[in-house]
Amino acid sequence: MKRLIKALALSAMSMMLVCVTVNAQSRNKVRKLEYNSQYNYEVATLAVGVDGTKLVKVWGYGKTAEDAVRHAKELGVACAIFRGFPAGSNGSAAPTPAIVTDANAATTHEAYFVKFFEPGGKYLQYVNLSTDGVTTDRVKVNKKTYKVGVELSIAYDELRKEMEREGIARKLNSGF
Amino acid sequence: MRKMLMFSVALMLVASAFGQAKKPTIMVVPSDRYCITKGYSTKINNQGTETELPDYKKALQNDAELRMAISKMSGIMSDREFPLKDLEQELRNIANESAESAMLTGSGGSSVTESPIDVLKRTAKADIIMDLDFSVVKQGPKNSIMYTLNGLDAYTSKNIASSTGVGSPSTSASVELLIEEAVLSHMDEFCGRLQAHFDDMFNNGREVKIMVKVFDGSDVNLSDEYDYNGETDELSIFIEDWMADNTVNGRFSLSDATENFQRYEQVRIPMFYERNGRQRAMDTRTFVNNLKKFLAEAPFNLESKVYMRGLGEAWVIIGEK
Repeated sequence: MKRLIKALALSAMSMMLVCVTVNAQSRNKVRKLEYNSQYNYEVATLAVGVDGTKLVKVWGYGKTAEDAVRHAKELGVACAIFRGFPAGSNGSAAPTPAIVTDANAATTHEAYFVKFFEPGGKYLQYVNLSTDGVTTDRVKVNKKTYKVGVELSIAYDELRKEMEREGIARKLNSGF
Repeated sequence: MRKMLMFSVALMLVASAFGQAKKPTIMVVPSDRYCITKGYSTKINNQGTETELPDYKKALQNDAELRMAISKMSGIMSDREFPLKDLEQELRNIANESAESAMLTGSGGSSVTESPIDVLKRTAKADIIMDLDFSVVKQGPKNSIMYTLNGLDAYTSKNIASSTGVGSPSTSASVELLIEEAVLSHMDEFCGRLQAHFDDMFNNGREVKIMVKVFDGSDVNLSDEYDYNGETDELSIFIEDWMADNTVNGRFSLSDATENFQRYEQVRIPMFYERNGRQRAMDTRTFVNNLKKFLAEAPFNLESKVYMRGLGEAWVIIGEK
């Protein structure tokens, strides 16, 4: 009888362990999918920037803190182009619309964006200021991933003009 | 490189094929509430009822904050290659035009002909009005700006773009700085909505208002019956049929009608039409002129007059030229 109870307890424990591992695995899988998702932007507007710029805080992910900062810069520029920034808290800033209004612009102009966002690419021209020297907002999510929040100044107007020049965004006066 | 060259050539071809649509004019105007609360208003007696009207000239001459806000907005819109009509300059032009018109004479001593309607039409107007309102909200030592910007279509009276909000309170920043911040904060949202309105205009046609009226000396009215294309019906029904055939996707609504008038709203007219083998920009006058031609043909054989009320509204008055 004692043996039976022991065997049952052992099997129950092993089943629990399997469940926990499976859960952790699926959690990691979901997390990985979220990191790589083109729709996942963790962005907050901090204040109204000076003429033509947007002051935002963006969180990026990476294997090292430096990678995460790089990712955050890329996300900041991508967010301005494809999604826009939300309104700042306590009325600090109004929402900013996306530069590109065509929902399929990323796929239509894929070749351009791949080159634009490549490491050291042109997108860096539109991130004017950042706090990557003082990355106080840093979390180690798991053994392999850092999550870092950086304050960025995005040159929104210049970025919009670049998209208009490339024919990706419509000008306000186009057609007239 | 070759692809880019081909893309540019394609773009140029499209541009030359479609030409340019009529560009609406935009003007920033301080809201009635702003002018009246700040004392920039005049009281008039309108047939026994005292009415308070905004005095824009007084507002622009005395309010530095308002001027700064308008100037900032003008700068942003110019940067977007959509320069604004300046209200102050427009008011000055109207005053000069009136004076010059009164003084001008030909070599034979004749003066310039002006009907009462011509004089009445000499007002500052734009196709889109940017109705601006802001006020300082005080919370103890803190100041914040309550800001509202509405983009109003002058003809359909629709609010086509807006942006509003209360800025974050500050104890140190000056009111001027807070106003500048409010303008900077809201302009992108406003322009985004304006862009969406223009996109809709290019996809579904320009939305305008059309009135069909009858001169009182005319011996016809809209309930008179005619035989057209094998059908016998009232004139008003044939005009409605013409509207359905000539608007984009047959989109219009007849909001009110009697035997003497028809009010068509939300009429979507095409942005372009073809003339001499080339695409030209369509405006309400051109569209309504086609209706005039239709009415002049048999079996109607009606004379009519086209009266234009700007880029987005026109009247056809049946009975006389």
